[in-house]
Amino acid sequence: MVESIVSVRGFRKCYGDTVAVKDLTFDVKKGEIFALLGPNGSGKTSTLESLEGLRHPEGGSLSVAGIDPSRQPRKLSSLIGVQLQTSALPPAMTVDEAMGFFASYHGVPARQDLVAKLGLEEKRAVQYAKLSAGQQRRLALAIAVSHDPQVLFLDEPTAGLDVQSRVDLHAMVRELREKGTTVLLATHDMAEAEKLADRAAILLRGELAAIGSPRQLTAAGSRKTRISVSTENGRLLSEKVVFPDASLQGKNEEYVLYLSDNPGKAVAAIIAWLEQAGDPLVDLRVERPNLEERFLEITKGART
Amino acid sequence: MNAFLHHFAYDFKTGIRDRSRLLMFYLFPLVFFFLVGGLMTSVNPGFRQTMIPAMVLFAFMCAALLNLPSVLVGARESGVFRSYRINGVPAASILSIPVLGTAVHMLIVAVIVSMAGARIFNGAAPAAAAGFVLAAVLSYAAYAGIGVLIGVAAGSGTASILIAQLIYIPSIILGGLMVPTSILPGALQRISFLLPATHCMALFNGLGGIGAGPGSGAGIPWFSLGVLAASVVLSFGLAAALFQWDTRASQPSRKAFLAIVAAAPYVAAAILR
Repeated sequence: MVESIVSVRGFRKCYGDTVAVKDLTFDVKKGEIFALLGPNGSGKTSTLESLEGLRHPEGGSLSVAGIDPSRQPRKLSSLIGVQLQTSALPPAMTVDEAMGFFASYHGVPARQDLVAKLGLEEKRAVQYAKLSAGQQRRLALAIAVSHDPQVLFLDEPTAGLDVQSRVDLHAMVRELREKGTTVLLATHDMAEAEKLADRAAILLRGELAAIGSPRQLTAAGSRKTRISVSTENGRLLSEKVVFPDASLQGKNEEYVLYLSDNPGKAVAAIIAWLEQAGDPLVDLRVERPNLEERFLEITKGART
Repeated sequence: MNAFLHHFAYDFKTGIRDRSRLLMFYLFPLVFFFLVGGLMTSVNPGFRQTMIPAMVLFAFMCAALLNLPSVLVGARESGVFRSYRINGVPAASILSIPVLGTAVHMLIVAVIVSMAGARIFNGAAPAAAAGFVLAAVLSYAAYAGIGVLIGVAAGSGTASILIAQLIYIPSIILGGLMVPTSILPGALQRISFLLPATHCMALFNGLGGIGAGPGSGAGIPWFSLGVLAASVVLSFGLAAALFQWDTRASQPSRKAFLAIVAAAPYVAAAILR
């Protein structure tokens, strides 16, 4: 059995009279990528920042690599790497200086190879204030991993990144997992969580709504397959056709949407009807339920 | 130690690289020095007596009051302190390194002012170099302590500017930089004891053997020495106690009002004198 490296037990966080997180309990196993998902205000960042030692919990206990973050923040900083959702570096600090500066506080040599790996090679002498938002986030990531942390915290890591940078970051996160680094990421990007995470927890109004692997989470929800059909003459849009294995879900511009427990039979019936009606098929999509749909199902009506 | 030196070297370099710091450390005080040196020595030859310490002190005030608070508030508000915290940068380094880095820049400015003041404007050179240096160190420490405390306690950049100006402007007018406080009317003289500049000038006069202000020729100005020493201890101590990593971490702290305690030595001085 793989041991836990992050432990959250009955965690509670308040801001004045507002309870942001209540009685949250979960574990993150060593070497896994764990995603925290939830709508805005669900308590993801409060949880992450408390685990990073930036906030003090009002109740419960937290442990990261065997350390209580609020009691030993200095010791913790050498064991964790953090890319915060909102942070900054001194505006006049260059990329090279930033790598050297933080490496010196971690007591390790500056890892200039990471600068090249994250596409900042040509920006070595550029000051932080003159980097684009995406470059600033990449630099923050390079700093976060430069001392080979045991646990890496990423808060919305791909926000503001272009497609290539996003792909590079995902590759880097997987590479870190291969090396045994545990990654905790908070994200709004369900596709990212589904692709990267071994397990995910969905938070809702500061409470744990669901936890498991992306596959388990998805399977726990609606099992119906979505079928979207578009035809040349739009006969399905204008006529009321009933198929025994598909229930009409709605109409969306030129598409008719069905849900089905038996997509094979339903698709065959739809195609047969279209051939008979002489309305050629333009597009047909068959989509299994995904994490995003499950997320929306759980968080329906809970967005703040 | 390596990290501290790395941080210090970076901070020192920023003093030249960052335009606003370059302006406050060098351009503004030196341009002011050359303008005032040319003007005041021609209309008021007596100004030569106090020109060098006054202009050195002016540079200290520019750096410590106009620059240090905004650097600290800006870093806290923009999230730089959060980045520091998660990477193990201690609060002691955050507070002390800007003070030490600025001190090196002020040493350079003080040397320029002392040499140019004596050679170009015939300013009175200090009779006691060691005393002058001691007075300069304590004066810088007093203003730097106040600057750091404002930077820690002020809730916003605007508030820090307003508070700093409340000390900066009266210091120039009433602190003995332009005219000796001894020629001010009685009430204003008493008010001048509320200002660190008055005590700094007394220190320069007494320890450095310069000028004709309070303490001049009277040996060691123990009273002003005590006031400034108490101010240094209180302001740095309060800054360390009130330091916050994050503006968002708590509501505007009521504790920030404790910063006013740093004014106690000056209030006592105004009452006792």
